[in-house]
Amino acid sequence: MPVNTTLADTSNGLLLSTVILYALAMLCYASDFAFARHRVLAGVAGAAAPDLAAADLAAAGLAAAPELVTAGAGGRSAPAKRAAANGSLRANAALSANGALPADAGPLSNGARPSVAAVGPAAGPAGDAPASRWPSGFWLRLGFGLTCTGAVLHLLAILTRGLSEGRVPWGNMYEFIGAFTCMAVLVLIAASVWYRAYYMGLFVLLPVVFALGIALTVIYTPAGSLVPALQSYWIAIHVTAMIVAIGLFIFGAVVTTLYLLADRSQRRLAAGQSSWSAGIWEHLPVPAILDRLSYRSVLFGFPVWTFGVMAGAIWADHAWGRYWGWDPKETWSFITWVVYAMFLHARATAGWRGRRAGWIHLAAFSCLMFNVIGVNLWITGLHSYAGMS
Amino acid sequence: MTGVSADGEVRAAEPDLAPPAGRPRTGRPGSGRPRAGRAGTRRPLAGRLGRAGWLRWIWRQLTSMRTALILLFLLAVASVPGSVLPQEGIDPAAVTQYYQAHPALAPILNRLSLFNVFAAPWFAAIYLLLFTSLAGCVLPRAFRLVGSARQKPPRAPTNLARLPASATYATGLTPDAALDSAAGLLARRRFRLHRGDGWVSAEKGYLREAGNLLFHIALLALLFSVGVGGIWGYKANRLLIVGQAFANTPTDLDVFHPGRLVSPTDLQPFSINLLSFRATYVTSGPQLYQPLTYDAGMRYQARPGSPAKFYMLTVNHPLVVDNVSIYLIGHGYAPIFKVTDGAGKVAWDGPVPFIPVQQMTLTSEGVVKVPDAQPYQLGFAGVFLPSAVDQNGQLQSAFPAPLSPRVSLVAFKGNLGMNSGQPQSVYTLDTKGLKQLPITPRPLSAGQTEKLPGGAGSITYLGYQQWVSLAITYDPGQLPALISGIVALAGLILSFLIRRRRVFVRAAAGPDGGTTVSLGGLARSDAAGGFENEFAELTRLLRAEHDGRAMQARQVADGTADAPEDADDRERGKPSTRPASPVAVAAAATAITAEGDTETAAATVAATTTAAAAAKTATVAETATTTAAAAAANPEMLAGPEEE
Ligand code: HEM
Repeated sequence: MPVNTTLADTSNGLLLSTVILYALAMLCYASDFAFARHRVLAGVAGAAAPDLAAADLAAAGLAAAPELVTAGAGGRSAPAKRAAANGSLRANAALSANGALPADAGPLSNGARPSVAAVGPAAGPAGDAPASRWPSGFWLRLGFGLTCTGAVLHLLAILTRGLSEGRVPWGNMYEFIGAFTCMAVLVLIAASVWYRAYYMGLFVLLPVVFALGIALTVIYTPAGSLVPALQSYWIAIHVTAMIVAIGLFIFGAVVTTLYLLADRSQRRLAAGQSSWSAGIWEHLPVPAILDRLSYRSVLFGFPVWTFGVMAGAIWADHAWGRYWGWDPKETWSFITWVVYAMFLHARATAGWRGRRAGWIHLAAFSCLMFNVIGVNLWITGLHSYAGMS
Repeated sequence: MTGVSADGEVRAAEPDLAPPAGRPRTGRPGSGRPRAGRAGTRRPLAGRLGRAGWLRWIWRQLTSMRTALILLFLLAVASVPGSVLPQEGIDPAAVTQYYQAHPALAPILNRLSLFNVFAAPWFAAIYLLLFTSLAGCVLPRAFRLVGSARQKPPRAPTNLARLPASATYATGLTPDAALDSAAGLLARRRFRLHRGDGWVSAEKGYLREAGNLLFHIALLALLFSVGVGGIWGYKANRLLIVGQAFANTPTDLDVFHPGRLVSPTDLQPFSINLLSFRATYVTSGPQLYQPLTYDAGMRYQARPGSPAKFYMLTVNHPLVVDNVSIYLIGHGYAPIFKVTDGAGKVAWDGPVPFIPVQQMTLTSEGVVKVPDAQPYQLGFAGVFLPSAVDQNGQLQSAFPAPLSPRVSLVAFKGNLGMNSGQPQSVYTLDTKGLKQLPITPRPLSAGQTEKLPGGAGSITYLGYQQWVSLAITYDPGQLPALISGIVALAGLILSFLIRRRRVFVRAAAGPDGGTTVSLGGLARSDAAGGFENEFAELTRLLRAEHDGRAMQARQVADGTADAPEDADDRERGKPSTRPASPVAVAAAATAITAEGDTETAAATVAATTTAAAAAKTATVAETATTTAAAAAANPEMLAGPEEE
């Protein structure tokens, strides 16, 4: 099937625009950090939705602010005092009350899912902005808007690439990176809306922009057809599963990194030490929630990955005559799977939850990245058709 | 730590959930520290039966979660060398190369089985230990699951406020009526119920454990399936030139790896005749050279005498005969030579498979051995160029398709060394006993002859044929492995989607004549979270139902249609039994901060205060408040019920 070069060029242009939009979005998120601290409070007020019990709580939290400060100070809690001093405690509370707080992070978890949070029998005094789940403040809105627009262009880039080639566009490393970064952004958007943690965008887009930048420059591969080994409907099944899993895992790894850093910062503060990054974490959900969020992304990602590996095995059986042959790619998929399983076990084992599990999570993700990048670049095997010679 | 048992059950929170007598809870001994209850009763026994005690101790260590973690880690680490070093089972030639490149290191690595990692004894030791651990950990759980599915849920604990989720409210119903309606509601939601004096306890979500078990057992089954394939299956390779045929017998196969219990007579007696092979390539653009299609036309017979059938073998579409799969895994060129020896006799006439040394352009190398030549044995080493071009005096192949096929040869005479008894590769020439003949290598095109000096004879390049390499596998473990995999995945998803949780309801007459209803709940393994939402929803529903019934009862009693406003208000708006005053909030913060759990403290402070303000209207807020207060009383509880 001949390649439609016009469409292929369109795809390249779209992907380039996508990267630019993502980069601009990152700038906006960063600007929000830099310029909009005073607005955190206003954001809370704006977040009070009339139909959500959780939002009521947030609004109420505002009303209770003076008490809050007293409580924090009276409690002789160093971080609370410090946070209360710059109003950040409310930021945390607001974020959590706004639904950033899933179950075990604290009592306010009812806000975790707006649909369920709406169980409150009556709405409190109506908040002014019904669009409470959307980001508030100029920079944040702009950043999120750019992210979403970028994601649309990203999807279009993938679509046009696929149309230009007349096949699923994941036949080489360039296409593969384009696809799983897109998945990571989609996860980001979903999580941002679901948990209303829009600031996460800055951190998730960072690796996405980096990876897309590399894809567009160093490992760019022009549109083309597939080698016979890849010409199978299994490519649509196996690689799509991997893309979905990797997107989820990228998100999970970024959140885990944030969790480890935020946790460190909080422990330093608790120990009376200074923490330069404390200002950043005030904008993000509390560590317990970050931890929970990363765990959830693995809970979604792990079965998908498992399915992907199994589909790969079936495909290998069709193409190469054995379902498992310890080819380097297979070996590293196995290692990745085992280390993610370790993470899941660690989460269920006393003394291993929290930070230790977090480190295992990052180890698992490193294995994944080595499989995606390292194995393609440095180790030759049957999977060596990443389109790079 | 909280008293949470090995399998994640909260003990502190359910003090009266002790296992039934005579049925020790066989939870994993988790962190490996002795568990008070059991160690106490077992110690005398272990003292008397020293060996049994030790065995039990070892077994408990082996089946602990920590050991599972370590073994998983070891398994991951042990796999790494298999991806970095060349492996016998995958690429034996690369191992040979490695030996040549690292003559000192290679034997040591070989000693450690590092060229055959996945068949190494230490690798097997790790996964066998892991699977023993898995069986030892999972099978008892399976039995317990069956047991607990037959048992009633445990009694409701006395103090429900100590549970991770709890709520309290007042109702006008009598305690019994309140419990009746609670039991009805929970039963409608398919909880399993246990009713006692003043309480109802309910449990749901056994499928989660079942899913987890299914998953782990399926892993075991997967390992067995792989083993079955290794014992009763076999793998073979055969290089087949177009026009040739072969039968599926050990002597007719190039490489044959039978499983442990496979004898040569077990092989399915099919035969295959290769009729044609065609490859197409991208001819322009950035993907120049890239192969597009491979088609190998073949005729096969399932057994001698059965009808011959045609099959077009392509990559990704294996031929299956009698459960044996035949795959197309490679292809190349076989130039055809005719060698006439010094005596004028034709000593060789036929194709010789050459091996591609450059995949992109299929430049191939090979040797022709003519042991029957007289008076000297003859040997040739050659390069085959499918599309020969002259680039600055260098002969190269410009394309993988045979656009201008040429062969360039170097000739030898002497002793090929084929009678020395040592096995020889057909693709290399042992030049020890040979003398190179002084001919100037030149590209021969089809039909051209090279005369050998000294009356040694001549060689004619007649043209080329193509060959394919076939992989032949028979793996009776394949289908079981597939089924195990699917079951494992299903179990995994099941256990991730479902959580096991308990809900308790107590209703007691209060001092003012009303009834206080308290609810408590805990999720045993709240993997994905969300139990609090369900609990809040249950609380809301139950409360609505209680309110409705109370109103009906009152209407019946008063004989009026309108419920008194104030009574309703009192019920509905009654603050929880534990209002969050600023003092309580401060206490909560202190209590938790003392644990070093600062972020929770911050969240709790904020949340509690927030909740206090909202408590007037929202049931959810009440739940939140009571829970926060409970957390203050028992900060570890925030760690969640999953923890050991
Ligand atoms: C081949 C090795 C193993 C693999 C790949 C593996 C994988 C997994 C995975 C993916 C999960 C999460 C799914 C779930 O929560 O149901 C899990 C959970 C679990 N595994 Fe394993 N496992 C292995 C061996 C073991 C062993 C040896 C033990 C016992 C010592 C064990 C005990 C458990 C338990 C108790 C859970 C449930 C944890 C929870 O409640 O969240 N596993 N395992």
